[in-house]
Amino acid sequence: MAKIVYVQTSGTDTPERLYVPFILAMTAKAMGDEAIIYFVVKGVTVVKRGNAEKIKIGQFPTLKEVMDQAVQSGVEMMVCDRSSELLGIDSGEIVEGVKVVGAATLNQLVLEADAALYF
Amino acid sequence: MKSVDCIGLYCPEPVFRTRKAIEEARVGEIIEVLADDPAAESDIPVLVKKLGQELVGFEKDDDGILKFTIRVVKEVR
Repeated sequence: MAKIVYVQTSGTDTPERLYVPFILAMTAKAMGDEAIIYFVVKGVTVVKRGNAEKIKIGQFPTLKEVMDQAVQSGVEMMVCDRSSELLGIDSGEIVEGVKVVGAATLNQLVLEADAALYF
Repeated sequence: MKSVDCIGLYCPEPVFRTRKAIEEARVGEIIEVLADDPAAESDIPVLVKKLGQELVGFEKDDDGILKFTIRVVKEVR
């Protein structure tokens, strides 16, 4: 079993960059691998409650639907605490099930993962 | 027991202060770390493991105060 970390630095102002990590992470789970998505910098806007519901591109389902599917498939989500503050997002506004973590955790995740992809 | 007070401090400060306390401790010593930064809940155990030390206790109260108890099992320079 391999471990892949997807680092989402992009936010709701670039919706076309938001679907891919969820889809890749779900695919990783389907292939028997571990998948973690880490939201940092503008990425925290993706896990601010109510935001993913508003994002929909073309024939794709809403981002919220894709996020829920990812969670159901066992994809783990983590958010950088300080990035949330940087963007004025309170920890109480973060989607349930997203683990609030810090710098040491991200460094270690990347070191322990077999691959890290950045979006 | 040495106590490291990180209440009111944010990531990565609790990690820095905990590391310093571990560096200054003798093998066998117990260190208590108090923090209220939510990120510390994940970060402090990661640091402890990384430095080869032992997390012997963790408590979280209703106010979100985190208390870690660390046993220093090897020297860190």
